[in-house]
Amino acid sequence: MATTRILEWLGRIYVWLLLAFLYLPIIIMALMSFNASPFYQLPFEWTTDWYASLWQNDQLISATWNSLKIAVITTIICVVLGTAASLALYRYEFRGKKLLQALLFPPIAIPWLITGTAMLIFFFGIGIGRGLFAILLGHVALALPYVIVVVSARLQTFAPELEEAARSLGANQWLVTNRVTLPWIMPGVIAGGLFAFAVSFDQFVVSYFLSTPGQTTLPVEIYAAIRKGFTPEINAVSTIIIVVSMALMLLTARFFKFGGEK
Amino acid sequence: MRMPDLTALLTATAVFTSAFAFTAQAGEVHVLNWKGYGADEPWAIAAFEKATGDKVINDFFNSEQEMLTKLRTNPGLYDVVMINAAFNDQAMSEKLIQPIDVSKLANYADISKDKAGSPMLDHDGKVYGVPWVWGLTALAINEKSFDKPPTSIAEMWDPAHKGRVVIRDDAVEAVQFGAIATGQNINDIKDMDAVKTKLTSLMPQIKTFWSSENDWNQMVASNQIDIGTYWSGSADRAKTHFKLPVSLVIPQEGAVAWLDAFSIPVGSKNVAGAEAFINYMIDPKFYVEWVTKVGAPVSANTKAVEALPEDAFNRKVMGSPDVAKRIQFQAPITDAQREAYLALWQQLKVDVK
Amino acid sequence: MAAQSATASRGGLRKALPLMAPAYLWLTVAIFLPLSAMVFFSFMTDLPLSGKPWAFTLGNYAAFFSQSLYLTLLLASLRLGLEVTLWCVVIGYPAAYVLAKVLKGRSREAIFLLVILPFWSNGLVRIFSWAMVLREGGILDTALNAVLPFKINIDLMYSYPAVIIGLVHSYVPYMVLTCYLTLQAIDDSLIEAGRSLGASRLQVLKRVIIPLSMPGLVAGAALIFVPVVGSFMEPRILGGRTGTFYGTVIEDQFVAVFNWPLGAALSFILLAVVLVILAIASPVLRRAT
Repeated sequence: MATTRILEWLGRIYVWLLLAFLYLPIIIMALMSFNASPFYQLPFEWTTDWYASLWQNDQLISATWNSLKIAVITTIICVVLGTAASLALYRYEFRGKKLLQALLFPPIAIPWLITGTAMLIFFFGIGIGRGLFAILLGHVALALPYVIVVVSARLQTFAPELEEAARSLGANQWLVTNRVTLPWIMPGVIAGGLFAFAVSFDQFVVSYFLSTPGQTTLPVEIYAAIRKGFTPEINAVSTIIIVVSMALMLLTARFFKFGGEK
Repeated sequence: MRMPDLTALLTATAVFTSAFAFTAQAGEVHVLNWKGYGADEPWAIAAFEKATGDKVINDFFNSEQEMLTKLRTNPGLYDVVMINAAFNDQAMSEKLIQPIDVSKLANYADISKDKAGSPMLDHDGKVYGVPWVWGLTALAINEKSFDKPPTSIAEMWDPAHKGRVVIRDDAVEAVQFGAIATGQNINDIKDMDAVKTKLTSLMPQIKTFWSSENDWNQMVASNQIDIGTYWSGSADRAKTHFKLPVSLVIPQEGAVAWLDAFSIPVGSKNVAGAEAFINYMIDPKFYVEWVTKVGAPVSANTKAVEALPEDAFNRKVMGSPDVAKRIQFQAPITDAQREAYLALWQQLKVDVK
Repeated sequence: MAAQSATASRGGLRKALPLMAPAYLWLTVAIFLPLSAMVFFSFMTDLPLSGKPWAFTLGNYAAFFSQSLYLTLLLASLRLGLEVTLWCVVIGYPAAYVLAKVLKGRSREAIFLLVILPFWSNGLVRIFSWAMVLREGGILDTALNAVLPFKINIDLMYSYPAVIIGLVHSYVPYMVLTCYLTLQAIDDSLIEAGRSLGASRLQVLKRVIIPLSMPGLVAGAALIFVPVVGSFMEPRILGGRTGTFYGTVIEDQFVAVFNWPLGAALSFILLAVVLVILAIASPVLRRAT
């Protein structure tokens, strides 16, 4: 099977090339956080000033914390609610199901600008107003469809006979879900959660409409900053986030299995 | 639901929710302004807080429309708002801002008479806006691309700069720029077809449409552009603060001038604090520091401009009578005009795609 | 969707409800109701918020048809969405296959996570970085000229290809991961069986692998196509003069002029078109396999 071996190696090289493509802008972002010019100007002039001044920038730091908190809570809520909804859509047949599935797309298709404006008006109308809670409410709603779509895609590869078999062995619904279905769809759930985090963490428009002066998120700070005086402190904070998340992720990959290994 | 009912409902909910929304407290001054535009400079806030004991809380907008929306949906939240004079009339007629007692502002007397008496800011003998700074939307050049600075707006159409010209992605500004290029009054454009033809011939020259100061500075820093429309204050800041090879050109054909002013929103819970803040913003001491440390447009306060060094750009160039003759101040425009300008601008952008 | 038949039964809704209700309730409060308000606005001449008199009208929807501009831009956006989706399939699917079928163990898990991580950086900061790569005298230009024996001039910035590159970069992880989820689920023995029965690699791919991974492809395509059609940020910054799309004109109505009714009407037209395309495309895709 020499051909297979060669193809496999080509495949591996290809994946690394794809990773290189994905990380190219990230590497530049990180490099520019060490460059003296705030305008991405070359030649490169090494400095750590941006990290030093980031330390003084309370507003940016608190916005970053807000973003992280909201993204983590959004992820947890979305994973739980989204997985449950996907299971319901997968298991049961009922009228209007197609409609419910189609309803997942308006939040993705309508430009966030419109959704954000709509939320602002509506949240005012019902007394929720603006602030971190409103932002969380909006983020969960935006990220939920992603989780449901991704988990559903994984669920479609699931053989329902497995649930049947477990049930015939006397397991109740809870046990079946817990021991049979969930382990199978876990890669989908993880992927959905990672997407939910990304949607929330990078969400600008909706956060922008729903944030109040003291309570903003990182993307809101970034977009406000580019109007006047973008600062590589933003690159610095983004770099720290990426490096820390990468470390956490690789640790997770080291100690947990979740890729659906058989 | 009949219309008056709905309006009443929306008003009611707005009032109702404002109770839930952030309530401003006395001792705090909530300021709504562009980001990085003087009022949020940390040293300025520190000085003001030290002098008055009031805490400054900044909020920002990214477009005039957004500023109006924020005022509409947050009654009672803001104490000071920075409004372009051309939008003051609209804000007043929507009852978003209140008259200002200028006798409480010690520095108001020093504001140049043509600005303080502007009919855009004063209505029925009451002052709704305190002139703060003014500036130009003129041209700026990349010094590396020119041996000597051009004098005419026609430079933008020179084939030598093809693909190295930028213009702001703003319908009103683009149309008014076209009016100047065709020798018309920006506030009373008679020959719209001429503007359209002129802009159509400009479009193939253009590299991109910029939308923020940072766009412009990045492009000039990487030597991607030769010339483009730019704001006077930003060009000055790019040169003095960021040391970029940028210089402002006020073409012989003229330039668009704008006036920014401070107002106090209806429902402000700290009018005294607002007055103190506005007074501080037009103070010569603040202004000189702003120009020196950051770079700024031209103060409306004559004493503040006189406090600058003799050869300062904002004093020497912007203050010269020759420039004053050439510039045209933006007057308010109607919603219908704005939409017509946008339609024209969108069509131009689609045609060049 | 044969799977559903197993547990399909009358009273499905009653059983489904407890699982589904929280998610859909949340969506209702935070998305559907606010968007309904927007639907309402889209039939109005003016916003009550602005204090001006208003009335009901179909004019905002008629505006779409009265000017060729909107249709031109909508078609341009649909084309953009299609191209980006196709590139994501071409680039993402093979990577998903390698990830699912070639790589094993820890390295697979690590790469799975590494594919998503770039997503966690800010979109705008990423676009700035692309500008640095693509512009004249940028990284791509410099690198190619250093390697190639002849002088070439690469200036992709502010062009249609730049928009495509930026968008593909942003969205390809969706394709990789959704395809991975379904590819990984395919039993290796199925593939081996096909091979041992004398089917060529290509035949196995066409008859076994692609059909079985179709749900992932469809989900990925939908998650990419749908938002790309309405995008305006990446096209505007990377596309320069060519960066005007349907999303741009919607944005203008909200940001530059205070005409929410028209902006809302334009976006609901977009939504309708997108949903029709999805409805047509999903059975076709399924039948094609």
